[in-house]
Amino acid sequence: MTDIVTILDHDFPGYILSVQDTKDDFPTLWVKPLHIMEILRFLKTTVDGPYKMLYDLTAVDEQARIHHNGQPVSDFTVVYQLLSFERNAFLRLKVPLTDAGPALPSVTGIWPAANWYEREVYDLFGIRFEGHPHLKRILMPDTWVGHPLQKCHPARATEMPPYQLPENKQETEQLSMQFKPEEWGLDSTAGGDDLLFLNLGPQHPGTHGILRLVVQLDGENIMNVVPDIGFHHRGAEKMGERQSWHSYIPYTDRVEYLGGVMNNFPYVMAVEKLAGITVPDRAKVIRIMLSELFRISSHLVWYGTFAQDLGMMTPVFLTFNDREKVLDIIAAICGARMHPNWFRIGGVAQELPKGWEALIQSFIDYFPKRLKEYDNLVMKNSIFKARTIGIGVYSTEEAIEWGITGPGLRATGLEWDFRKKQPYSGYEQFEFEVPTGQNGDCYDRAKVRVEELRQSLRIIQQCLHNMPEGPYKSDHPLTTPPVKERTLRDIETLIHHFLNVTWGPVIPPGEAFCGVEATKGHNGYYLVSDGNTTSYRTRIRTPSFPHLQFVPTISTGYTLPDLMAILGATDYVLSDVDR
Amino acid sequence: MQWWTSKVNDPTGTVSGNSSFEKTFQKSIILTNMESMVAWGRKNSIWPFNFGLSCCYVEMATSITSKYDSARFGAEVIRGSPREADMMIIAGTVFIKMAPVIKRLYEQMMAPRWIISMGSCANSGGMYDIYSVVQGVDKFMPVDVYVPGCPPRPDAFLEGILLLRDQVGNEKRPLNWVIGDQGIVKPRGVSLKEEKRAERMKMTEIRDPGSI
Repeated sequence: MTDIVTILDHDFPGYILSVQDTKDDFPTLWVKPLHIMEILRFLKTTVDGPYKMLYDLTAVDEQARIHHNGQPVSDFTVVYQLLSFERNAFLRLKVPLTDAGPALPSVTGIWPAANWYEREVYDLFGIRFEGHPHLKRILMPDTWVGHPLQKCHPARATEMPPYQLPENKQETEQLSMQFKPEEWGLDSTAGGDDLLFLNLGPQHPGTHGILRLVVQLDGENIMNVVPDIGFHHRGAEKMGERQSWHSYIPYTDRVEYLGGVMNNFPYVMAVEKLAGITVPDRAKVIRIMLSELFRISSHLVWYGTFAQDLGMMTPVFLTFNDREKVLDIIAAICGARMHPNWFRIGGVAQELPKGWEALIQSFIDYFPKRLKEYDNLVMKNSIFKARTIGIGVYSTEEAIEWGITGPGLRATGLEWDFRKKQPYSGYEQFEFEVPTGQNGDCYDRAKVRVEELRQSLRIIQQCLHNMPEGPYKSDHPLTTPPVKERTLRDIETLIHHFLNVTWGPVIPPGEAFCGVEATKGHNGYYLVSDGNTTSYRTRIRTPSFPHLQFVPTISTGYTLPDLMAILGATDYVLSDVDR
Repeated sequence: MQWWTSKVNDPTGTVSGNSSFEKTFQKSIILTNMESMVAWGRKNSIWPFNFGLSCCYVEMATSITSKYDSARFGAEVIRGSPREADMMIIAGTVFIKMAPVIKRLYEQMMAPRWIISMGSCANSGGMYDIYSVVQGVDKFMPVDVYVPGCPPRPDAFLEGILLLRDQVGNEKRPLNWVIGDQGIVKPRGVSLKEEKRAERMKMTEIRDPGSI
């Protein structure tokens, strides 16, 4: 297929402002704001090898930038990241905005998935999207003043007045959260009957965290669902602009808190791309092994809680016990259970402890038997089947349209796993299958995850048998913390060590994106460095955000108990939605 | 007090001359005041509210499962409604958007009610000194027990429950009007950091992280 930059240059002369070099080698084009709609529509529908998925939409506040490196003048840059399945390639489009009240046309007409992304950009940057159906804050409370990701907004809570919650504030906050159907264009009556608006959450055992869903009900039938998110917004992206490159790693653990080191993975790889660090083989395999252990741990939490959502009490106790076994191994290796903070820029924190092989081996021997038991207990259970088969069905096209990745995409029959399609950290050398479903319903999504448990175990086994010898950390000068051995022999290494440990490494200016096939879907970090000890912009593209946005579409027409099955089968974590 | 069991075939029978009237009497009767009796009951059946905010909630839920089994301390009957619960565990980060909701849920709980602040975020904001996070749940709600950790292990959380049990058991909550001070008198909080310092200082060997 023809290179996309050549096509756009040929078909749209004068629309492209410039082509930017990035460390991730994605084609990155600056487009004039006037033409962005036309180009996006062309890329989605007309071009050979279309970019069907709006993978990410975000913005950068450029006003504190030092290294412009010949980029067009811009106060705020809106970044569109598209994914083409035919080309197996990403494309990044950037639009510079210089107005005092920055605005762009909304692309919700091209991709419905843009809805939440544009609301997020509006909420955090104050950029307006003309023609958006409901441009309203999404992560911050309605009563919030300012746009947190603007460079002029304070980052720390301690830079702002101390938080207080007197009676009258409590009252106003509660009032601002009141749901008004007419604001969302929803009718309160249908055919002379009153409809019920059920408020599910933010505190509800079925929502798996602090998520609020307002369900429009006709009897027990769902007519519409309006999710209200942002209750779990922890400012992880702003935090990246304040922590050093190294000391941000613990924060990544806590985005998607069931995935542990799986979150460190894309972040450190993106930093390594920026710094030009090559990671030694042993570190690569250790990273894969730990990530797959976390995939098992996360899927086990999902397995038990999903069954519990559908009324089974027993499985959750069994799967949590097995999760304990995985966490014991993780704790023996990393020293912590849920948030090990164990990957480092250029490698991992330390050598594997003596005796790790026996731990892994005993788990490999133990686990398949249990999986069989779960099949009998859960997957073959007739009630479980009755409540999941044919529920929450969607097609591959719909999934791509809404930005669905991971098991939710594979359950529709598309064999798309980033570990196979765009291998990273040496996944291409492992033998494993990519399980898929056919029907795209809740049962198939469950089936895919259950099979993934087996495949992860297979990968771990290969790690065990083929663990390469060598260092666990790169000897690149930007590796943090740097290798200690040579520091007391020459002054140059000592200085580097001292600076990297105290200030943290200075990463050269540039930008890079790196994503991994995480437990819930494709998780990516888009980092912009301005040649400093902290990141200039840290964008975390999480899978749960688009997945949750899709829930209303796939729940409409089902009944309220089906909503629990749909939510459970979606497998999101609220920290992964709100960051 | 001496204890013995009765025989199956002879349930009312005596066991080798031990069943004096006095001893039988001691076995069947507890002399206490109503207040302590109620406190004993409360202490041994604290019903937690099924409420979680973030990562800590997963560890809190883990503490109910078989390996940790909070049922051993009578605290496994998780309630979905605040109206039925005695204890609210602030398991996770207290977000500014969520704070009014947390307070409302707390207000819906009936007294006596207790709060455990679980994890660094709920204790003080922890590593999230960021615009969207309240720097500790005690900024707008009373807290009885603080459990440190990020997240605390389920064992650490269970220790928090044990501390709360002690507190609940020793709390003075008059059931009716009595002469003297009115109102609830809570025992003075203890700092385990201080209490366990001497024991910690005795430790001279630290486990080698290079082996399991």
